[in-house]
Amino acid sequence: MERKAEIKPPVEVRYQKELEALAAQDTGKRPLNWKLSPKAVRTFILGSKKPLEWNGEEIVIRKKYLGNDALVERCIITLAGNRGLMLVGEPGTAKTMLSELLSAAISGTSTNTIQGTAGTTEDMIKYSWNYALLLAKGPVREALVPSPLYVGMEQGILTRFEEITRTPAEIQDSLISVLSDKVLNVPELGEEGLMFARAGFNVIGTANTRDKGVNEMSSALKRRFNFETVMPVRDVSLEKQIIVNEVEELAKASQIDMPVDEDVAEILASTYHELREGVSSLGHRIDRPASVMSTAEAVSVYYQTMMTAYYYGDSTMDLGCLVQNLVGAVQKENQDDLEKLRSYFQTVVRDKGGKEGQLWNSYYEARKYLK
Amino acid sequence: MEQLLRGEEIPEVTTYDLDSPVLYFPIRHHSPVCAWHLKQAIEAYKPEVILIEGPQNAQEQIPVLAHPETKAPVALYYFYKDRKGLLSEEKEDYKCYYPFLDYSPELIALREAKERQIAAQFIDLPYGEILIGTEEHKGIRTEGEKQTYNDDYLLSRSRYLSLLCEKTGLRSFEELWEKYFEIGGLFQTTEAFVRQMTTYCSLSRSHTPKEELETDGCLMREKYMAEQIAKASKTYQKILVVTGGFHTDGIRELLEHQTSDKNNGFLKYAEKPVKLHSLSDKDQGVYPLAYSMEAADALNGYASGMQSPGFYQQVWERLIKAENPQGAYEDSVLHQLVSAGRKARQKKESLSSYDVICALSMAKGLAALRGKREAGLYELRDAALSSFVKGECNPSTDLPLQILQSLNTGKQVGKLCEDANRPPLLLDFDEQCKKFGLKIQAAGQQEVVLELFSKKKHLSMSRFFYQLQFLETQFARRTKGADLLNRRDKSRIRETWVYHFSGQVLAALVDVSMLGGTVAEASRTKLIRDFGKSENSQEAAKLLTLCFLMGFLEEQAGMSAHIREVLTSDGDFFSLSEGFSHLRMLYELQELYEVEATLELETLIGICFQKIVQLLPSMAQVKEEQQQTCMESCLSLYQITGRGSFSHYRQNLTEAFLRLLSQPQINPGLEGTVLGLLYGDNSDYGEQIQKASAGYLQGTNEMQMKSAAFLRGLFYTARDFVFVKEDFLTMIDQLIASLSPESFMKLLPELRQAFGYFTPIETDRIAGKAAALHGAKKKEVLQGRKVLPQEYAYGEMVDAYAVKGISGGL
Repeated sequence: MERKAEIKPPVEVRYQKELEALAAQDTGKRPLNWKLSPKAVRTFILGSKKPLEWNGEEIVIRKKYLGNDALVERCIITLAGNRGLMLVGEPGTAKTMLSELLSAAISGTSTNTIQGTAGTTEDMIKYSWNYALLLAKGPVREALVPSPLYVGMEQGILTRFEEITRTPAEIQDSLISVLSDKVLNVPELGEEGLMFARAGFNVIGTANTRDKGVNEMSSALKRRFNFETVMPVRDVSLEKQIIVNEVEELAKASQIDMPVDEDVAEILASTYHELREGVSSLGHRIDRPASVMSTAEAVSVYYQTMMTAYYYGDSTMDLGCLVQNLVGAVQKENQDDLEKLRSYFQTVVRDKGGKEGQLWNSYYEARKYLK
Repeated sequence: MEQLLRGEEIPEVTTYDLDSPVLYFPIRHHSPVCAWHLKQAIEAYKPEVILIEGPQNAQEQIPVLAHPETKAPVALYYFYKDRKGLLSEEKEDYKCYYPFLDYSPELIALREAKERQIAAQFIDLPYGEILIGTEEHKGIRTEGEKQTYNDDYLLSRSRYLSLLCEKTGLRSFEELWEKYFEIGGLFQTTEAFVRQMTTYCSLSRSHTPKEELETDGCLMREKYMAEQIAKASKTYQKILVVTGGFHTDGIRELLEHQTSDKNNGFLKYAEKPVKLHSLSDKDQGVYPLAYSMEAADALNGYASGMQSPGFYQQVWERLIKAENPQGAYEDSVLHQLVSAGRKARQKKESLSSYDVICALSMAKGLAALRGKREAGLYELRDAALSSFVKGECNPSTDLPLQILQSLNTGKQVGKLCEDANRPPLLLDFDEQCKKFGLKIQAAGQQEVVLELFSKKKHLSMSRFFYQLQFLETQFARRTKGADLLNRRDKSRIRETWVYHFSGQVLAALVDVSMLGGTVAEASRTKLIRDFGKSENSQEAAKLLTLCFLMGFLEEQAGMSAHIREVLTSDGDFFSLSEGFSHLRMLYELQELYEVEATLELETLIGICFQKIVQLLPSMAQVKEEQQQTCMESCLSLYQITGRGSFSHYRQNLTEAFLRLLSQPQINPGLEGTVLGLLYGDNSDYGEQIQKASAGYLQGTNEMQMKSAAFLRGLFYTARDFVFVKEDFLTMIDQLIASLSPESFMKLLPELRQAFGYFTPIETDRIAGKAAALHGAKKKEVLQGRKVLPQEYAYGEMVDAYAVKGISGGL
């Protein structure tokens, strides 16, 4: 099948070769129904220095999750155990990406997903019916429409539950019995209604701490998860690397033939980093904007600027355009945020222009677009 | 690590030869695995003497450290006073600690030597010599840290190491060390362990620049140690040398020239001997002291501490009990998890046994994933983070982690055997406590009430407490009584102190023991030192007050010269005023505290007074936040010139006040204060007050807004003016009547303050007069209209209705 037309192919497709190469050479012990051993899962996510030989090709396993390695290790072990995994953190900290990588490596699919919203109902989590079949044949398995959770249990694969805290607490609680007893009861099916989860089943939840915290989650449910708090990247050079990597991927997918300007990426990374942390590398204290200053946002600001340059410009990054996109990204929640951005330019960017050279100077000159 | 080590060519050295006359045993300080293998090496090698890396001047303390009644953690405390200026021109004092835990290889060596009745010797340079041989800001002379003698920075901070961590995918040197040495090393033979250790240390050393070794005194120390080993080889046939692994190679190289000529000994030290300086015993010394796990933990203040001593203590206890090291780590991890869970439950956290089970399986899983033989400290921490924290990890949810942290640190406090010699300061402390009947053995806090001026003993006790407080020992705290340092409650004649003796107090006392042989002497040394550093009148006068409280009478004479200098060079009005108030207070209290006539207080007050008077006119535009201080000092100056011996200054002061008033712009509060004082001296100034008041009260709106501040100043010093000048009150009344409600609300706080200076009876009189201005009588103002019973009943009904409405009953 031609996959190129897809905007975002699932992880298992994107990294198909890597997964196959890893599986072929995986000698580690695997938990039942896992496609890879925990060690190979770790290598898939955190990368390996030595390329793998497979089918006469050299496959390089790139590091896909930049940040806390120990966190990834804990996630893998949690999934092999009895409890679900809950990833919590600020928006844009790559929680979803991590959960996709984990499911693709462990179960071979990252698409078995429930998307949590305020309107999620219990039958979206457990099962519903195909009413035409139900009327025709009565309550039989054939008439049942399984939910991703049902599928996960039946096949022994991971079920991802995105934005779990967006769903009402009572709906969330329908997970409790599934997670503790690993059994789902479908009373309509009578004696055959008990579905025991196959080995390999587990749940990865993600929740962001901005809009609706995990505090409202019942403690009964909390107890059935191991929590991992994903922190924003604390290292500017790492953040720059993430921007560069992600933009390269996006550009490749959209067939934009333009190299990523590392210096611009660095400026953007430090802007985001400093606004998030509230202190500049020169020691200025900065007012933090109320909106989310995540790395994912930085990536999209860069990518937008890049597309403008590619389609309308001369394929060089224009800092004026970058600043305009930055305004769009920062000024979302609060009018004051623009003021904060402006004062950041007037202190930090100005001083850096004096110290760190030309590019920062042009960045400072682009402040006229802050409106 | 294995891969990396295989990648490089390493010269094969026979490192562990049990038949050799000298056996070098490389260690890392505070490493359980080194201690464990060392114990076995001693058993196998059966040495005649054990030579240990440690400053030689602590040789006499070895029996104390190895005594069965001495319980770890203990430490040796070294001090050196650079009286000759060998280190720097400042001639500072230096100190450092050499901590020992149950699993410190050095302590194991000492204990084993005692048990086998063989000699044990410290072979490093004396502490003072190490300092002299080290360049400033390097090695043991790095600033900003609590110094320990056995710092492993050479082993743990080399460039080779960061490479190694990267290659093995481990987070830090400590994790690498735990994986390959602490845990991995337990399953190696002693010989293999020593070989691995030697290889690692040699590589680490070869990646450290030679200049670094030179500047931090490392090479010189190695020479000295080699010399000592050569010396010992003349007497003993089997020598075990226990030093930090980093030094082993360095020492061995210096002793290469072996001869079989017995008269020359087995080993020959070919280099020039290290020359020692002649240092007096008074300038350097060493004391053993009881230490605590908390003080030993790297987390508490200094990088050279050890990692989680409480956790490794658990491991060690299992290692020495069991025949097989298998499971020692996993058991300890389980133990810590269970204890943390139990403690968390006591603190009302909902952590179940199932959480502990999950945490244990997480730790084991991580160990397997990371290729570790058993779960260690890092898996323990990760497991607790993953399984114990519910929800987002932040300060409100990480209590279980904090509990685990404190368990990892451990609570143990060491104890010294009876015959350990103690610093004279400690002996003096004990003696004084005994003399005053203080209960230092008691567990809880003790309280004592001192009647300062009726019992001589109580005055001495108060002085003793003040001295200890000044030395920052945390022993005693005054809860009630005069607070002369802040000039509060000066008239109190009793003081209440609470005191409590603890390990921390002991450590603090040892810390200051190099300042002097008695508590008083140490405080005196510190006082004189602090005094030399004081730069303004406020600080100097405060120290003088302290001097007074601690009962140091003779010193004061020497201080007055310095104070005079400080006062003359001080150009800050507020610092001078503060100093002035202190001096004045001391002058008033000196008789009571029995410190009469030792200090030229009158002269000092005179100098201070002149300086303030000189600066006073420039204070006209003082800012609002400093207004009160300024007002207070004016009043204070005025009061003191009312006394016999200072009355000749009154003229000067009046002139300064007039100069101040003649400034084009003046702070209204200050103006009021000064006018009031002038009026107090000479009622002729009433006229001027009247004029100034009219300017404010009947002036433009802007001036009116300042009138409250003016009144506040005026009432602060001359509130009787209201009663003397009848029309003054009318003027205030008119002002209030003319103000808009907003302006009135703005002025109200300061107006309240202004009227707050009046006594209740005076307020009553003023209210009466104010009422009269509006044709009412005093009583009418205070009494409201009568309420009719019907009105009251209606009010009650409305109230009940509202309550019902709010509680949702409607």
